[in-house]
Amino acid sequence: MGFLAPWFLGGLAALGIPVFVHLLRKHVTIPRPVSSLMFFERGTQSSTRHRKLRYLLLFALRFASVLLVVLAFADPFVKRPAADVNGHLLLLVLDNSFSMRVGSRFADAKQQALAALAAKPHGEKAQIMVLGGQVDVLTQPITDEAQLRTALESIQPSDGHANFGELGGAVRTLAETVHGPIDLALFSDMQRTAMPANFADMVLPGNVKLALHPVVRGTPSPNWTIESVNAPADLPDPKDTKRSRVEGVVAGFGSSAATKTVSLVVNGKIVATKKVNVPANGRATVEFAPLDVGYGFNRCAVKIDDSDAFPADDASVFVVRRADPERVLFVHRAGETRSATYFGAALAAAAQGSFVLQSMAAEETQNLDPAKFAFVVLADTAGLPSIFEHTLAQYVAKGGNVLIALGADAARRAQIPLWDANVQDVHDYARRGAAANVGQVDFTDPALEQAQPGRDNGGWAEVKIFYAAVVDPVQARVAARLADGTPLLLDKQIGEGRVLLMTSGLDNLTNDMPLHPVFVAFVDRAARYLSGIERLSGSRLVDAYVPLRSGAEPVGVVGNVEVIDPDGHRPLSLTEARTAQSIRLRRAGYYQIRFANGRDAMIGVNPDRRESDLTPIADDVLALWSGSSANGTTPAAATAPAEANFQRARLWWWVMLFALAAAVAETALASGYLGTQREEA
Amino acid sequence: MQRFLDPDVLAGISSLDLLAKTVVDGFVAGLHRSPDFGFSQEFAEYRAYTPGDDLRHVDWNLFARTERCYLKRYRGETNSQITVLLDASNSMQYTSGPPKKMDYARFIAASIFYLAIHNQRDAAGLIVFDDEVRETIRPSTRPGQLARLFAGLERAEPRARTDFAKPLRHFQNFLHRRGIAIVISDFYEEPEAVVRTIAPLRFRGNEVVLFHILDPQEIRPVMKGSAVLVDLETDRRIEVIPEYAKTAYRAKIDAHIEQLRAGVRAAGMDYQLLMTNEPLDAALREYLTLRQERD
Repeated sequence: MGFLAPWFLGGLAALGIPVFVHLLRKHVTIPRPVSSLMFFERGTQSSTRHRKLRYLLLFALRFASVLLVVLAFADPFVKRPAADVNGHLLLLVLDNSFSMRVGSRFADAKQQALAALAAKPHGEKAQIMVLGGQVDVLTQPITDEAQLRTALESIQPSDGHANFGELGGAVRTLAETVHGPIDLALFSDMQRTAMPANFADMVLPGNVKLALHPVVRGTPSPNWTIESVNAPADLPDPKDTKRSRVEGVVAGFGSSAATKTVSLVVNGKIVATKKVNVPANGRATVEFAPLDVGYGFNRCAVKIDDSDAFPADDASVFVVRRADPERVLFVHRAGETRSATYFGAALAAAAQGSFVLQSMAAEETQNLDPAKFAFVVLADTAGLPSIFEHTLAQYVAKGGNVLIALGADAARRAQIPLWDANVQDVHDYARRGAAANVGQVDFTDPALEQAQPGRDNGGWAEVKIFYAAVVDPVQARVAARLADGTPLLLDKQIGEGRVLLMTSGLDNLTNDMPLHPVFVAFVDRAARYLSGIERLSGSRLVDAYVPLRSGAEPVGVVGNVEVIDPDGHRPLSLTEARTAQSIRLRRAGYYQIRFANGRDAMIGVNPDRRESDLTPIADDVLALWSGSSANGTTPAAATAPAEANFQRARLWWWVMLFALAAAVAETALASGYLGTQREEA
Repeated sequence: MQRFLDPDVLAGISSLDLLAKTVVDGFVAGLHRSPDFGFSQEFAEYRAYTPGDDLRHVDWNLFARTERCYLKRYRGETNSQITVLLDASNSMQYTSGPPKKMDYARFIAASIFYLAIHNQRDAAGLIVFDDEVRETIRPSTRPGQLARLFAGLERAEPRARTDFAKPLRHFQNFLHRRGIAIVISDFYEEPEAVVRTIAPLRFRGNEVVLFHILDPQEIRPVMKGSAVLVDLETDRRIEVIPEYAKTAYRAKIDAHIEQLRAGVRAAGMDYQLLMTNEPLDAALREYLTLRQERD
C-alpha cells in the first residue's frame, strides 16, 4: 500500500472542519416560546441521545467524505504479485517471413498460435504481433478473443526477412509501457539467419517470459537458391560484350554437391540455360552473355530449374532497361583538360555506366540547354556565362543534378555556382608539405555507397588531398571529410534537384584520387546517383524503400505517383498517391512505378537471400535466449527486479467512488435534518 | 362583509372602536331577552299564589272575577348586565402568526361591548386579570362607557401568570345583579380547577360563557426537530422532541379541551373554543345563539 502523490495527504488538515462543526462548536438552539408547558414533557435525555447519535452518523459521513477525497487525490495503490492473471499479457508473435513459406511451416505456426490463444485464461489480455520484414503490431492488449483470433487468422506469409533483434527491440519498447509480466510466445522456424549480429539485441526484459514454439524439428532439407545476380540495370548496347552479361551466384544451404540447371529468363522466355556444379554448402557462378534485350524495360530472371525443398527462392528477378546512352555535360575551364580526361576514363570504365561524356569549356556553354543531359559536371570553372548559370539554376530547380568540383581556381572566385555560399578559405596542403587524408566517409550517401567498406576506409584511406576549399556546409550533408575536418564532399538538395560539391578537384593536381581505383567507383556511384538511372531499373530487396518524389517539390505542384505491385494491384490510395514520399517494397516480383516527375521505372524485388538458409538456431542458443528472458540478465531487468515481481494496482477510482457514496448519504441525512416535516392530517 | 371579520384583516385595524363596529355591523342586531321575569309589558303566564309570594304581583282583577289568587308573570325585557373577564396573562401573547391570542381576545371583547352597549343598551363591564385583578370597569350604560371599556382593553397587555380564583372573588364582590359573565382565556389550568373556580358564578344566577382562545399551533404544533420550549408565564425551559409533539401532546390537548368542554357544560355554563385563525362572527353568532336559547 502506498501513495503515488503523497503530498496530497496534506489535505487531511481539512478533516478539522467536520470535527470543529460537530464536536468543537457548541450546538446553539434558539428557544421557542409556547403558551404553557402544561402538556409538554421533557424529552431532553432521549431526544439528545437520538440527536447525538444521528449527528454522529452525519459527522462520520462528512469525515469519511473528506478523508476519502483526500486519499483519492493522493492516488493510493497496492502492490499485487505479478502472478496475478489480470496483470498478465500474452504476447503472440507469429513469424511470417519468407522462409515460413517452406512446406507447411506457416500453417503449422498459425495453428499453434490459435491453439495458444484458445488456451489463454479468460480475462487475460493478449496482443498479436507479426514478425516479417518488420515487427508489426496487429492488436492492442485486449481480452476480446474474437478480435484476437481474427487478427491471427488474417496473417499471411510475406516475403520479408525476420530479425529477432528487431523483435527484441519491439518487446523492450512494449515492456516500457506494460509493467506487468509478459508471456511472449514466438511461433517461428527459428532460422539462424534471423539472429542479429549482436546477441544482446535479442535479449528480452526481465518481466518477459519467452516461450519458443519452433515449427521445424531436425535437420532441414537441402536448399539451393540464386543468391545474387549481377546484371546491368541499364544497357545501351546488347552487343557490348563488357556490359551485356548476367552473372548469377548459385548457393546451396545444407546441401551436398550437385549439378544444377540454371536458366536466364527474359520477359517470360528462357533465353539461355546452363548447368553449374555447386559444391556442398558452397556457391557457384553462372554467366549468361550476351544479354539480348529489346528497348524499354525487360523483366529478367535467373532461376534454377531443378526443384528443391524451397522452390520460392529458386529465381532471382531483375529488370534491364535498354536505352540509348545518356549524355553527360562536363564543363571545364578553358585549356584545362585533365579533369575531363580522368572523369571520362572513369565513367567509361564503370561497368554499369551508360553515359557519353560531352566535354565543353565554360565559355562555350552560353546557348546550351542542360536539360538534354543526364547530369552536369562543373570542373574547376572559375566563371560561367551568366546565361548558362541562370539556365543551370532552373535546370536544378526542376530536378536536374550537378556535380561541382572546385579545383585549383576556387580561391580566385569566392562565389560557388548554384551553391548559394562562398568559399570561406582555401587549404593548400601541398605548400605545407603534407597532403591531407580523407578522414571520414559516409558510405550511406548514395554517391559513396558501399555495402561493406574495407578497412582502408573503403579505398579512400590511400587518397591524398593537396588542395581543398573550405565551404560552410549549411543545409548540406557532408558525405566525406578530410582528417582535419574540412568537408570534402557535400550533398545538397536545391529545389527538386541535387548538387554534389567536391571541395577539391577531379584532376591529379589538387589530389591524387584519379590515380586510385576508388575514383572509378566514386564516379560510377555518383553518375548513377545523379542520373537517377538506378532508380529506374535493376533489383531491390523486399522491404526496401523507393523514394517517390523529392522532398522539396514546389508548393502547389502536386504530382501523382503510380505504383503497381507484382500482383497487379495499386498499393497506394489516391491520397497516398498525392502525398507519399516513398514506398516500401513488400512483395517479391516486379514493381512498376511512375514517379511524380513523370519518369517510369520497373524494379525487380527479391526476398532477402538470408531467408534461403533454412538452418535453425542451435538448441543451446535458443535455450540461452529463452533463459535470458527468465533470468533477467539485462541491465533493465536487473535494475527493477522488485517492480517486475509486483504490480501497482491504483485504487483512486474506488476511493473516489466511496467518497461519492458517502457524499450522497451525507446529503440525504443532512436534508432529513433540514427538511420540513409534513403535518399529519 | 365576511372578509372584514377575518382575524388577519382585523389585525390591521388599530382602533378597537372601528374594529368592533365593523364586526358587529356584520350581524343583524340580536334581541336577547332578560332571563328574569319582571315588570315589562309582555305577559308570560299565570301561576297560583303560594304563601310567601309578593302580593304586588297578584292579579287583583282576576281575583275579583274568580275569587282565586293568581300571580301574573311577565317576560322581562329589561336591559342585561354583561361582564367580560379577560385573561391578560403572558400565555395570551403567544402567536404563530397574527393575530396574537391577546389581540383576538380584545377583538371579541370589543365586539361584544359594542354589540351590548350600542345595539342592546345593555350594561357592560370589564375585568382584566392575570394572577390578580389588574383593572375593573363596572358595568354601566352611561355615556362614554364604551370608550372606557375600549381604553381598558387597550391597556390590557399580557403579563404575569393566570389565576382564576382571585378575579372571580373580586367579580363576586361587586356583582349584585345577575347578568352575563364572559370569561375569555386560554385556560391553561386543570379543567376541574377552572370549573370549580368559575362554577360559583353560575350558582348566583349568572349566565356564564367561556371563550377558549387557542392558536392553531397550540392544537397541532409543528416541530422540525427537537427544540427547547420556553413557557411564556414561568420561563421554564424543557427540550421536546417532534415525535412527542406529534403524538402525545396532541392527545393531551385534545383531552384537555374535551374535559373542559364537558365540565363547563356539566356545570350549566356555555363553552366555545375559538381559534385565532377563525372569523370573529362565528364566535359572536355562537354566543347570540346560546343567548337566544337561554331566553
